[in-house]
Amino acid sequence: MSSLLLLVGVIEIMVAQNSLEELQEKAVQAAVQRVSPSLVQIETTGGTEMIMGGAAPKGRRPGPATGPGVRKGSGPTTGLVVSPDGYVVSSAFNFANKPTSIIVSTSDGKRYVAKVVATDQARMVTLLKIETTGLLVPEAAPLGKLQVGQTAIALGRTLGGSPGAPPSVSMGIVSALGRIWGRAIQTDAKISPVNYGGPLIDLQGAVLGLLVPASPQADGETAGFEWYDSGIGFAIPLEHINSVLEKLKQGKDLRKGLLGITMQSPDMYAAEVIIGSVVPNSGGFKAGLKAGDKISAIDGKSVQNHAQLLHQLGPKYEGDLVSLTIVRGKDEIKLDKIILSGTLASPPLGFFGILPMRDDPAKGVQVRYVFPESGAARAGLKEGDRILKAGLGADITKAAPTTEIANRDALATLLSTATLGQFLAVEVKREDGTTLTLKGPIEQSTSFMPDKPPEKSSLAKLDKEPEKKAEIGTIKKQNAAGDRNYWVSVPINYDPRTSYALMVWLHPAGKGKDKDLDDLFGTWDQFCAQYKIIMIAPRCDADLGWTPGESDLILESIRYGTETYNIDRKRIVAHGMGTGGQMAFYLAFQQRDTIRAVAAVGASLGATPKERIANQALSFFLAVGDKDPIRETVLDTAKKLSDFQYPLILREMKDMGHQYFNSITFDLMATWIDLLDRI
Amino acid sequence: MPFLNHAFFFYAFIVSFQTPELALNEVVQKVNPKMVKIYGSGGFKGLPAYGTGVLISPNGYVLTVANHLMESSDLRVHLYDGTRLPAKIVAIEPELDAALLKIGTDKSQFDDLPFFDIMSAAKTPQALPGTSILAFSNQFQIASRDEPMSVMRGNIAAFAKLFGRIGIFEAPYSGNVYVVDAITNNPGAAGGIITNRKGDILGIIGKELRNEQTNTWINYAVPINAEIEIRLTDGTTKKISITNLIEKKEAYKPVTKANKALGGGGYSGIFYVPNVVDRTPPYIEYLEPGSPAQKAGLQPDDLIVYVDGLPVVSITSLQELMLKYRPQDRVQLEIRRGDKLQTITVQFELPPKANATKVPESKGK
Repeated sequence: MSSLLLLVGVIEIMVAQNSLEELQEKAVQAAVQRVSPSLVQIETTGGTEMIMGGAAPKGRRPGPATGPGVRKGSGPTTGLVVSPDGYVVSSAFNFANKPTSIIVSTSDGKRYVAKVVATDQARMVTLLKIETTGLLVPEAAPLGKLQVGQTAIALGRTLGGSPGAPPSVSMGIVSALGRIWGRAIQTDAKISPVNYGGPLIDLQGAVLGLLVPASPQADGETAGFEWYDSGIGFAIPLEHINSVLEKLKQGKDLRKGLLGITMQSPDMYAAEVIIGSVVPNSGGFKAGLKAGDKISAIDGKSVQNHAQLLHQLGPKYEGDLVSLTIVRGKDEIKLDKIILSGTLASPPLGFFGILPMRDDPAKGVQVRYVFPESGAARAGLKEGDRILKAGLGADITKAAPTTEIANRDALATLLSTATLGQFLAVEVKREDGTTLTLKGPIEQSTSFMPDKPPEKSSLAKLDKEPEKKAEIGTIKKQNAAGDRNYWVSVPINYDPRTSYALMVWLHPAGKGKDKDLDDLFGTWDQFCAQYKIIMIAPRCDADLGWTPGESDLILESIRYGTETYNIDRKRIVAHGMGTGGQMAFYLAFQQRDTIRAVAAVGASLGATPKERIANQALSFFLAVGDKDPIRETVLDTAKKLSDFQYPLILREMKDMGHQYFNSITFDLMATWIDLLDRI
Repeated sequence: MPFLNHAFFFYAFIVSFQTPELALNEVVQKVNPKMVKIYGSGGFKGLPAYGTGVLISPNGYVLTVANHLMESSDLRVHLYDGTRLPAKIVAIEPELDAALLKIGTDKSQFDDLPFFDIMSAAKTPQALPGTSILAFSNQFQIASRDEPMSVMRGNIAAFAKLFGRIGIFEAPYSGNVYVVDAITNNPGAAGGIITNRKGDILGIIGKELRNEQTNTWINYAVPINAEIEIRLTDGTTKKISITNLIEKKEAYKPVTKANKALGGGGYSGIFYVPNVVDRTPPYIEYLEPGSPAQKAGLQPDDLIVYVDGLPVVSITSLQELMLKYRPQDRVQLEIRRGDKLQTITVQFELPPKANATKVPESKGK
């Protein structure tokens, strides 16, 4: 007996010298075999070609390498069985292009129609359901026992065709634990669309986690994609997914838990955790947090900087409870059971109800138009009134302090601070010379479109001839680098003394040829002359459409427009169709200080919109044919935007497919551009 | 862990009867002298004027990739010891993405160069996913003259077909390739090799290629035992392989493959919804009465999701797939009707003459 043991020992030593690698190979293959019946292959039909949107990593310049725009591959993707009765999880990345149909093939080759049940938006894991039973559920490796340095194998079902073939294998180790603010395991195995949605397993074939793109600096389905195959890959622990599985099965998306506070200092590491602002109605707001409070501990763990706070908060969901210790002045206060918010409700946008005259050389704001039934109408304002002073008040029965209003922009700035329920007091001078003080309530911005606001929109003095003649008609320009070009269309009646709206046309994929732009300029000609609009049409480089890196070219062309012509900065519109429309959304959310409105035809917003920013107005005009195959996703975009309280016009064009405007829509959009500077 | 103990003992037993394996540095020393660096004249915009090759005979035949370098008028090869020699192209097989070179001149002949015996290497079994590999190449021209190749370590990730960026039939080689999990396919690496951990040659590193399926760069090698069946212009098929190319040498004639639009598509009688967005889902809008598709049981609003087992992403990809069929061919369509999947076989016909004006093409194109 003992001699046999000795013999085994000798052989083991030989093995250690000679063929550890061979042993490892065999062990890997055995581990892969053990888990592969739980892998499914996912195929989708339809959806968009490009996935635009999502937030660019903070503090980095968006560019081709780090930009959130990603072309969706056409191959199958991977999913992992999580319960025998047909529940499968995958990476949300695999559905970010909003496919029409999802088919899941189990490892025995059977195909099923799959439905998206819910998505864990904090971890970008999507739960699918197929109608079957008896699926094999893999073993989850206990998170507590994971060790940095242990073998980790990434599996996927993209390569190799059939769902029964051996999965693709990439070898690595566990590089770190608790990454992405405590949400993910990091591995140096090659993680990419080849295995997003597949498992990261250990040498025993137990599942460590589900492979997803992820980034600590950004949210969204495509965040972290730029690190594919780099040796920086992430997996969401399966043990964790299992713990929220029952919630996901209810069909409700899980969202990140938010306190609803901003920090006084942008420095995540050096500065103390002092609250800069508290979002109204957020969990933190309800718990009584105030600007200036210093957070010293969360759930009993002391925190010295914002990053440490994020690490504690990172794994939590909407509805989870936290306790905070804060220092306010000399007091230390303990706040228990703070309920984390899922979204931070944007307060509705305040609206008074007037359209101002433009190019107004005089002090104050002359009223061009009063929206019927608005607060301004109820206050008794009339066209031609000149607002000289204005102020906000809380109680309409009492007087409010007013200050002088220099111009349209000053009034707009005042309104951007207004909340619903407040009122605006204005001191106006009537055309007959009388002066009145009027008061009207601030109401929610309306999508009401008057048939025709008064045509006269400008008070520019036209007595003197302009000194310089500007170029009119179609102008072909080249960018500074000299490798790209853009076209500019200036109406023949252009007068540099009056301000014009600027519309940037972002053409759909493959529609940037000379003829296409000629046609488009031709159709817009009369509207541009009538409504005072200058059009700029940059061209994208690739046949497949715009990429986020082309923002620079677009911005350069806009700069040319604003520097050469008299452009009304409140009315710079990104207008696009298809991928051009997607680019318009992307551009608007990235360039908040430039773009004031998006008019998108047959295009949807890839990711969740960003929050509204006070005094950087952003309006949306969405048009889609009622027979457009992507109608549903456009309607979904409209819903998301209105959830964020963005002013929005949605127009479904009757009996139309994926087409550009019909004639009624042209008029509507031109009017909408004319109304963009409403207050 | 009973499983592991068992495995340990079992494999240990086998290993003990084999010759001891070489250490990694010994393997590298064994492989490196068989590798060559290839240089062409520059002038190709954005493409490197250098590459990699592998010696496959003692008298100086070199296997490499059929890339732009082969258009160079003055190919030069650097041997492991730094010897610089001219090379001429013996044969190119675009379908295998392979080229055969011969180094030396009339004055400088060799008969004792170290080389890989491809004929016997091609007989070894397929390497499985998870097998650890070494990659040898002249990537980024880091090595020069007598410097050894850059060696990388990785694993076989998959044995799979390539799906090139342009269209599914446009990949340089249509058979299965070894996909690896190391970033091997870099400028100048094409023509290098991957070996197993013992230094046995497995495949020839391919070009830099973006994978259509994932829209990411893919790292792959064409297996040494590559053999594919090609449909020729006259309708017959022919098997071609790397071993065949090597065996025939000068006598090797590359095949002329039939146009990818093999059948030109038969008549089914299906009209799809207008193909207007990037990836219009292939919903059936209308079926011609009495057409093959209608007789087979297809219905308007059916969504076609697979064509003979191949997934369909959009109308465009469906039309591409349909091109390979001709009248009388059968195609198995898997369709989604509501939330149910169904398989329907359609036999293509010749377009009906009476309806010549209504050839079934997508209306929205």
